Amino acid sequence: MNGEIELIGTFTSEDECAAAIEGLHKAHVHDFNVFSPFMSEKINEAVDEVRGWGRSPVRKFVLAGGFTGAFTGLILTVGTSWEWNIIAGGRPIAAIAPYIVIIFELMILFGVLSAVSSFFFISRLPAFEPAPGYRTRFGADKFGLVARVGDGDVSRVEAMLRDAGAEEVARAAA
Amino acid sequence: MAAAVGQGEFPINYIDVDRTAQRVMNPAGLKYWLWVAFLAFLVAVGVSYWTRQIYEGLGVTGYGQPNYWAVYITNFVFWVGIAHSGTLISAVLYLFRTRWRTAVYRCAETMTIFAVVTAGLFPIIHLGRPWYFYWLCPYPNERYLQPNFRSPLTWDFFAISTYLTTSALFLSMGLIPDIANQRDISTGWRKKFYTILACGWQGTDRQWRNFSMAYLLLAGFATPLVLSVHSVVSWDFATMQTPGMHSTIFAPYFVAGAIFSGCALVITLMVPMRKWLHIEDLVTVWHMDNLSKVVLFTSLVISYSYLTEVFVVWYAQDPIEMMTFHERFFGSQGYLFGGMILCNCLVPLLLFSPRIRTNMVWLFIISIFVNIGMWLERFVLIAGSLSTAQTPSQWRFYVPKITEVAITIGSFGWFLLNFSLFTKFLPIVSMTELKEGITWLRKSIREPYPYRKAA
Repeated sequence: MNGEIELIGTFTSEDECAAAIEGLHKAHVHDFNVFSPFMSEKINEAVDEVRGWGRSPVRKFVLAGGFTGAFTGLILTVGTSWEWNIIAGGRPIAAIAPYIVIIFELMILFGVLSAVSSFFFISRLPAFEPAPGYRTRFGADKFGLVARVGDGDVSRVEAMLRDAGAEEVARAAA
Repeated sequence: MAAAVGQGEFPINYIDVDRTAQRVMNPAGLKYWLWVAFLAFLVAVGVSYWTRQIYEGLGVTGYGQPNYWAVYITNFVFWVGIAHSGTLISAVLYLFRTRWRTAVYRCAETMTIFAVVTAGLFPIIHLGRPWYFYWLCPYPNERYLQPNFRSPLTWDFFAISTYLTTSALFLSMGLIPDIANQRDISTGWRKKFYTILACGWQGTDRQWRNFSMAYLLLAGFATPLVLSVHSVVSWDFATMQTPGMHSTIFAPYFVAGAIFSGCALVITLMVPMRKWLHIEDLVTVWHMDNLSKVVLFTSLVISYSYLTEVFVVWYAQDPIEMMTFHERFFGSQGYLFGGMILCNCLVPLLLFSPRIRTNMVWLFIISIFVNIGMWLERFVLIAGSLSTAQTPSQWRFYVPKITEVAITIGSFGWFLLNFSLFTKFLPIVSMTELKEGITWLRKSIREPYPYRKAA
């Protein structure tokens, strides 16, 4: 967008990066992206606080997947038993106790498949274009904070990033 | 403590973790390819004997009345058991936030995948007409016939295939951030390879947030699954009327045995890998010590299970069961039972000594004993019990022939071949999780570990 600049802050520790995220929040800069080489609780908490995100929606897909799997297992076992409904040895046509194993396994299977597929879907993966501001070191040993700010705020936000501990702040056109 | 990096004040930094793990994936030398060629030869031997078996029939094996379940089913249970430690270490210990798992879980997960794949081959090899194995799957057909869902063998099909899918997805999910890291430093065909596998991962806050939830839920699913799979395998035996097999203790006993054998194989693989791949700084003595404590604990559980099994038979005073167990202890094949007790119950007691737990040579030797012992346990249980079933006129002890031996050796070659290839092309230690818990890794390197000199 015209008149916007990307500030790319590089941090050596997650604490500094989390502090910078809080600083952005205080500076009313909400258009930002964070890169980290590993899952950091501190950064996640800081981002959640700023963005007001609740827990990941992946869990809702998983719940739906688990129920679907269990239902599929029930239909598969009971339905096919009734399809070939010959009573053998006086036993019930559909015996629920042994079918619980199949129902359980399919519940797990469908739950797992929904966990992975919803993770890809919600995280917008596979991504064919690199995210703006991404540097290869953000996957190795540095934390990156990319903020999009208007021309007038650049100096103020850049100073804030440096104060938070950024070892480098680069500018790029947004 | 804030995990600062690149300042030279710590024994290991984030970038050191990456470099050490990535060095393993450097182009291989002649020794590696000779090792791969040797393993491929073992696989070829196994495949050639299986081909002969398919062509000539199961008569080329030592199978015969009353032993129609023997080495192949032993191998199936053995490999399924091996697979369990991967899920235990990666999922169960993840839920408990166990810190030492980070260095060893990728190896254990990889082992799980290839062990399940190997295990899945044996019920097919065991069939006289292996091309009909798909009859186990439910599929629409004009006769409305479906598999018998009351049968433990059908349960097995569902349990093993679910376990393989879950383990493969769990491993793949965990690999994505590490592969992305590898993508960023690679060139040539490797860059293309890792770019495809990384799926565009860049470690953004949105990606990590969903990743951590999906990974947690996968771990949550994998935990009951790991308990169910070997319980289902145990019911293959426990639901039979065969003396020596018909026991309600089998499910927990099998699960404990599976974790025992699996963790032992992780040690068997990790000890030489640490040395040959130069990853001692990532997989420290602390990690190996904790792993060996799991082996010790599960050995005690297994020993207790053996005692309980015998006690139940003695208490019930069923003459056929008593006779089967008498034959198992004192019969012509009693030495197999003795070997099993030695390997599974007595040798692991050495792990009570911290000096032995932190000595890699001792750990390796003990883990080999455990592997042998757990294979023997399954053999004694399956082939031994069937040899002395209800009809004494049919008693005959099974002796494997060259076909079973060759196929068994081939399966070890197949497992190690896959594992060796994985090690060279994909990260065998989790860089992201090691970096996440780098404080503990530094502590395990820097602080004098008790009895570390012994290692």
